[in-house]
Amino acid sequence: MDSQIKKIHQQLVSKEITCTALVQEKLNLIKENKYNSVNSLLDTLALDLAAKVDVKIANGETIGLLEGIPFGIKDVYMVQGTYTTASSELLKNYKSPYTATAIQKLLDAGAIPLVKENCDSFGHGSSSENTIFGAVKNAINPELVAGGSSGGSAVNVAKEYTVFSIGGDTGGSIRQPAGYNAIYGFKPTYGRVSRFGLMAYASSTDCVGPLAKSIEDIRIVLNVISGKDPKDQTSINSNEISEDAITASEVKTIGYFKNFVENDAIDVQVKADFLAAIEKIKAKGITVKELDFFKSDILVSTYYTLAMAETASNLSRLDGTNYGNRIEAENLIETYAVTRSENFSEETKRRIVGGNQVLSQGFSDEIYLKGLALRDQISENFSKDFEEVDVILSPVTPSTPPKIGDSLKDPLAMYLSDAYTVGFSLGQLPTMTVPQGTPTGLQITAAKNNDELVLKFANFLKDTI
Amino acid sequence: MSKTMTVDILSSIKGAQPSESVNKLFDVIKNAHPTNNTLNNVNRNAVFVSDLREDVVVESSAIEKQLILENFPNKKNGFLVVAKVIEG
Repeated sequence: MDSQIKKIHQQLVSKEITCTALVQEKLNLIKENKYNSVNSLLDTLALDLAAKVDVKIANGETIGLLEGIPFGIKDVYMVQGTYTTASSELLKNYKSPYTATAIQKLLDAGAIPLVKENCDSFGHGSSSENTIFGAVKNAINPELVAGGSSGGSAVNVAKEYTVFSIGGDTGGSIRQPAGYNAIYGFKPTYGRVSRFGLMAYASSTDCVGPLAKSIEDIRIVLNVISGKDPKDQTSINSNEISEDAITASEVKTIGYFKNFVENDAIDVQVKADFLAAIEKIKAKGITVKELDFFKSDILVSTYYTLAMAETASNLSRLDGTNYGNRIEAENLIETYAVTRSENFSEETKRRIVGGNQVLSQGFSDEIYLKGLALRDQISENFSKDFEEVDVILSPVTPSTPPKIGDSLKDPLAMYLSDAYTVGFSLGQLPTMTVPQGTPTGLQITAAKNNDELVLKFANFLKDTI
Repeated sequence: MSKTMTVDILSSIKGAQPSESVNKLFDVIKNAHPTNNTLNNVNRNAVFVSDLREDVVVESSAIEKQLILENFPNKKNGFLVVAKVIEG
């Protein structure tokens, strides 16, 4: 699909449509939708902003490319004065006092926020079922999960309720729902986009990124939200990616992890489709190398060990003292314990407890510190791989989306379903899901800070597979 | 002095118990054998001292202050009420 942003921009400039009519149409679709993709509507704000865009156009003023473009926001981002619930009972009435940097940049560019989107509570999940707003339904087959944790964002884009959405990806939370709903989803290099105003899950892998229906829209949004931010000291400087820079791919060698496809866990169809995609790429004269990588259970266990440790620390602030749904008990400590026990979901509690287990005396050496050492090895492995290949191609998931309800019954199976996404998070690498190649898409990964090459190769794949 | 604290106390979650599913993940790490000696080598996102932001107090805006007050869980007679602090 071509750029929706450019198409709508042209329609607005040529007065084929008004921004108010466009926003109202999208809001109506969102209100009627039965996919549970919405936590709260930002209708008053959106219509107010749309009216201002219409006035500018009527006055003959020039508008920017993103001005008047409706978008969605995963409900873990602060937008001043709006409810930011993280799909949790604890924060169901919490209003953001300030606005996240990435969202502020989009607002400054004139984009119009329509909706705070349903997701797994605090990003804890791979199915968007772990939420107080009801399980998000898959855009293609509503009996299946939407994926997660940015499930609402993926569905809203797939159904064209939003032109693009801003998701969050800690271990695959943009890429996996993008794959499940057949759209593009991009996790940039860690630090390329400021995390300020994103509710922290696991700070060392949390990434802000766009979901959209075209590579060009991903590029446009990525350029706007990227950049060093004094409010996030892990953020980095990056260069703008031009449209011309990603039109012709110079990729000569790609690699894939042979243990990702040569195991019993992968669905037969996903495997066959992936290998067929590899053959099509070879037919274009590109060299394909098989690469060795860590076993899936090591990747998943390393990721969850570190992510749980970080979330146990990050979520310790949520105790009902200054904000949140406090439940009073006989004293302060009991108030903390009851508030957190009653307001966190089972999955969130599982992860906090797991994190405290690995951080506690006697366990940190044999689990947490070992997890950090494994992460270093995984990063070293990637560095060596990118001396041999330009990009790495992988399936997004081992299988197709499960039915709603199934993931909640088996947490271990849900964790293991993240096998193909978590490694790239640990490596902090730019990785994009493209809706091609397998039933849940393909992931393209490049070396750190080489986000441009990912988009280039995505363009190449669009015309190849 | 050694004092054992259970996970429910460590996590401030009443009745919390370790999960079997999560323990299975940890078992994989326990049995893994990292080949290098890079334990504690976690400085991949270190910030240089010369690159630290200025340590200045920034006054919150009026709307920010109002929203912080609105979010406070318990108010009485114009005061913000905190939970009863444990007695000595």
